[in-house]
Amino acid sequence: MAVIKIQMPVDDETIKKLRVYDMVEIYGPIFTGRDAVLPKVVKCIEEGTCEEKGIFLKGSAVFHTAVSPAGIGPTSSNKLDIEGSIPALSAAGVKMHIGKGSLKKETVEALKENNSIFLVTPPSTALLTSTMKKKRVVAFPEEGMEALYEVEVEKFPAIVAIAGGVSIYDKQD
Amino acid sequence: MTDRKEIIEKTAQTLVKASTVFRPDQIEAYKRAAEREESPHAKWVLNNILENAEIAEKTSFPLCDDTGIPHLFLEVGDECAVPAGFYGALEEGVARGLRMLPGRPMAVKGNDEERISQCRGLYENSDALAMAPVQTRHVPGKDIRLTLMMYGGGPEIRGKTLRVFHKHSLDTVINEMIAWGTEGAKLLGCLPCVLAFGIGRSNYEAASLGMEAMAKGNFLVQSDIEKRITDAVNEAGFGALGLGGKTTVLGTFVKVGPQRASGIRVVSMRLGCCFDPRRAECLFEG
Repeated sequence: MAVIKIQMPVDDETIKKLRVYDMVEIYGPIFTGRDAVLPKVVKCIEEGTCEEKGIFLKGSAVFHTAVSPAGIGPTSSNKLDIEGSIPALSAAGVKMHIGKGSLKKETVEALKENNSIFLVTPPSTALLTSTMKKKRVVAFPEEGMEALYEVEVEKFPAIVAIAGGVSIYDKQD
Repeated sequence: MTDRKEIIEKTAQTLVKASTVFRPDQIEAYKRAAEREESPHAKWVLNNILENAEIAEKTSFPLCDDTGIPHLFLEVGDECAVPAGFYGALEEGVARGLRMLPGRPMAVKGNDEERISQCRGLYENSDALAMAPVQTRHVPGKDIRLTLMMYGGGPEIRGKTLRVFHKHSLDTVINEMIAWGTEGAKLLGCLPCVLAFGIGRSNYEAASLGMEAMAKGNFLVQSDIEKRITDAVNEAGFGALGLGGKTTVLGTFVKVGPQRASGIRVVSMRLGCCFDPRRAECLFEG
């Protein structure tokens, strides 16, 4: 299978070309966040305080994980606080949301409206952590391992699960 | 009997091994699944999980960042005198293993009420994580065998323990187990799953038997009941990582205990993730 290489930050044209089941490798900086911090980022979007906190979302990706001494690995993206953040983050410029599990129809629609996509990756922590070259806390350090991190990755593997209003999980609903 | 220092060291090493190494039957089950899989995407996921296991073992790094809650299963020889301080040494070994791994720092701070709401946050050190209460069985011999398992959080969302009205039919109970497995697998992100069931007379006993199934199950030695459940849930076709395919379930482990004269059987299910059971064992010679 052909693998599409994606360099971060990513532009709208690249996202438009991607279809479900496309396999990708991601290179460059991506954000990480989950239940605790993503609603806080959404609040920053609403209050217009992202840039003053050093959060630049245009063309970015958010990987749903903590960053702990035990490495990185996707948590379920259909948890209320995570999935609930996807529409606002997409509208603010996040192009790729990376996690695991199926998402609701409303979220699929919100992704389509903003030309954003959802990708899944196996919870292979040892492998995924080996793709991580750098890490730094961007905001909300009080959340510890669940703070908003930026991690620099090389050859980070994922599969497109939702794109252009199509979800690979549709047939299972 | 082994001295305290050795109990601590062996327990710590066993915890690290359980968290970082796939067992041979697990590797073989994944290889067979990847071979028979027709979907290239599902095949990619299964091979990715195998590659992860290779890296984890080589670098002694956790298979999954949810390093899990330590669960200990002990088989104590009938001729063995358990030494004073044995259980304390096991606890110390678990703490040492969590520091060595390192385990994800996820122990919750506070009193009863505060721990429920998690309002005081988390401990920063991995070894603050308490192990679950130990399960024990007696066996012939002079030794103590420790099986240490790490229970991740995702399966706890999908697992359950509940009575099933059997209507004097094995099929009734198995069909209910298949329904539970199918319903849970649909929602679990980390497919293929591993289904572990205990069937007993009380909620406590069923959960205990389910843990024994996890401790003793072998992917390459499957009973008729285990095969039947695996095949039936695989019919759903959710596939690895939910991408569709033949392998929704990698294997099923069932432990049936004594039953009571009653219209119900109590069934406990753990809908394990793709790394389950994260398990290793060691022997303390008597």
